[in-house]
Amino acid sequence: MSEIFSATVSAPTNIACIKYWGKASIPLNTPINDSVSVTLHQKDLKAVTTASCSASFKEDKLWLNGIPVSLEGNKRFYSCLNGVKALAKEKGKFDGMKVHVSSYNTFPTAAGLASSAAGYAALTFAFKELFDAKEDYEGQLSTIARQGSGSACRSLYGGFVAWRKGNDPYNNGEDSMAVQIAPESHWPEIRALILVVSDKKKDTSSTKGMSTSVATSKLLAHRADSIVAKRMEDIEKAYLRKDFESFGKITMMDSNQFHATCLDTYPPIFYMNDISKGVIQLIHKYNEFCGEIRAAYTFDAGPNAVLYTLEKYQIEILALVLHCYPCSDKSAFVSNSKLAEEARAFKLSDELVDLVAVNHASVGDVKVVYCTESGPGPLRLDEKESLIDLVTGDNLYNA
Amino acid sequence: IKEKMTLDESSSSSKAPTIHHVTVSAPTNIACVKYWGKASIPLNTPINDSVSITLQQRDLKAVTTASCSTAFETDELWLNGAKVSLDGNRRFYNCLNGVRALGKKKLEGKVHVSSYNTFPTAAGLASSAAGYAALVYAFKELFDAVEEYEGQLSTIARQGSGSACRSLYGGFVAWRKGSDPYTEGKDSMAVQIAPETHWPEIRALILVVSDAKKDTSSTKGMSTSVATSKLLAHRASQIVPERMEQIEKAFLAKDFEAFGRITMMDSNQFHATCLDTYPPIFYMNDISKSIISLVHKYNDLYGEIRAAYTFDAGPNAVLYTLEKYQVEILAFMLKCFPSSIGDDFVSNSELAKQASECELKPELLEFVQVAEEGDVKKIYCTESGPGPQRLDDGLCLIDLETGLNKYSP
Repeated sequence: MSEIFSATVSAPTNIACIKYWGKASIPLNTPINDSVSVTLHQKDLKAVTTASCSASFKEDKLWLNGIPVSLEGNKRFYSCLNGVKALAKEKGKFDGMKVHVSSYNTFPTAAGLASSAAGYAALTFAFKELFDAKEDYEGQLSTIARQGSGSACRSLYGGFVAWRKGNDPYNNGEDSMAVQIAPESHWPEIRALILVVSDKKKDTSSTKGMSTSVATSKLLAHRADSIVAKRMEDIEKAYLRKDFESFGKITMMDSNQFHATCLDTYPPIFYMNDISKGVIQLIHKYNEFCGEIRAAYTFDAGPNAVLYTLEKYQIEILALVLHCYPCSDKSAFVSNSKLAEEARAFKLSDELVDLVAVNHASVGDVKVVYCTESGPGPLRLDEKESLIDLVTGDNLYNA
Repeated sequence: IKEKMTLDESSSSSKAPTIHHVTVSAPTNIACVKYWGKASIPLNTPINDSVSITLQQRDLKAVTTASCSTAFETDELWLNGAKVSLDGNRRFYNCLNGVRALGKKKLEGKVHVSSYNTFPTAAGLASSAAGYAALVYAFKELFDAVEEYEGQLSTIARQGSGSACRSLYGGFVAWRKGSDPYTEGKDSMAVQIAPETHWPEIRALILVVSDAKKDTSSTKGMSTSVATSKLLAHRASQIVPERMEQIEKAFLAKDFEAFGRITMMDSNQFHATCLDTYPPIFYMNDISKSIISLVHKYNDLYGEIRAAYTFDAGPNAVLYTLEKYQVEILAFMLKCFPSSIGDDFVSNSELAKQASECELKPELLEFVQVAEEGDVKKIYCTESGPGPQRLDDGLCLIDLETGLNKYSP
């Protein structure tokens, strides 16, 4: 067996504050508008990937969450592989070598939390480390991750990250890339509570959904042409100023507008359900009660709510969520047991309790709550974390 | 009633002053291209045109008696049997004063008006369109008002409640926003595109959907939308004009494919602008959405649009269809939304019977995910109908002895 080269990495997911919805070019995987997100900390949610290559490997192989997956016709995978390999510092070193890649994520599948951003960011970064690749220009690697999955480009950086659509997204992907607006250390007080919401039906896939939206929604075209650019400007300014009022308002408005364009699609796409709606109404009541924006909801292509807030309000909001959403298993309901304890001990004001009394939720409406914060981009892990056996080249990971 | 002595002291017996009265019924209408957003609040003009189908008055109507007498001390209004204050009621007085000014009969005296509607209040079906159309039409008949230009009466009804203007005509009725809705209301009026006799095969199934919460009022909601939704502004200026043109063409050509498609798209776009409002407004709920999904599946199965949904400011679904598909669609909906209420569940018992005997295709049955009992509370089956109608004076809702309301629900 020839030498097996490998690199193991972990990569984060990100939650968009200004949404990507709609491709300009399908082959290039470029968007019709800019977007921006907060990269989440990898301690709860991450993708871990080992990329390995060797002259002894007979064919390219991929394992996802321990299960072998066919690579035939997998454009996304090969865009990442070939794109990064071409940037290897040592030209020719890896020529002809096949790759074995194993990846898992800590996103519970039942939760319906998007893992492709983390997955393709991990893949791209793993290849970068494996081939010791170097960018020809800053952001180039993100243009490769973008071809795996659009929003994966934003997961290549920590903190507050924008995805610039580029000068000519319909014809050129070279400058359709991620840019770090601010590192995670800029606004360390930012917190994110992810409310995993019960949903009976299967969601429309993002790729298919956004394609139908582009084809049928006139409101989406207007959004992309005339609304997003100014919002991006405003939200970036707000984040740099640490102005949560503005940041939160734009985030909520953009989530709603994204879902509005889904509704304006033909046939219409519904990602949020009545429980999602209840969360929105709860947050508006809470913010109104406080006289300022302390929590900002945002929803992706599914019913789960992400509530952005600041560290100082986190316990109160968590207490409010616990109060409004009954659960059957208290110990498993909140991901962070210390915060859960503090939230349970927190006394909500009587007025606030009265205000929200009308929202009647059923057990299981919210299945679980993750408490997290902003974090860094992809990280190299130690070789001992390898998911590929460095002697045999086989997958080591079992779900 | 206060008996006033007549000025003519020469008559041997004092006669009680006449109570002039008129009783009318008026229809509701369901918009296919929606009105949402005022250009001018005082003028009650819209930011875009809209168009609707006037529904038959058999099931859903407003009945109003307008009466006038010098013996009345004050203006009075009863709605569904209950007295309602007219203090500061601009809408009522816009209608009264507007029509009275056009009246050939110069009647002096205060007015007593009684009105009821056959819309179950719990159903949340908008009755203000029918209500104000009935009011205006009743005053028109009472004062024998004549329009100075065609459509003028609808500009008065519009000031009672915007969409009431469309209820002044039968069939397919547009509300033209006017040449300058921000400053001028004179030409913001209803126009009949086609009478109800033009496309008599049109049917409407109204699915009354269960809803726990109270809806945001239209007036408040549309005001917030205008103030905060950029998508709404774009809709009004760039999208609606073309849609109006297309849907009018479609209706005149009896092209249900195009008519239905535009109707569904416009309903969704209206709700999209509500979602784009800050704070967002949600009128449809999960039951509404499942109805939407079922209609798309139904249409896809047949490869053509046979049913078109539309939702107003509430979760109730109106399904437009053609007479030939009505029974199957009703049967399909009954399968999806079972009820143990019995005979009262469907407004038309003959159709209900036909639907129960209808054997649904297996492919359709596959789409059925039986909902919870009560998700749909009632189904009305109706069609297009005429504008307001004068009713027999014997149906008067005002007691001609006392001048007071005699209607109780």
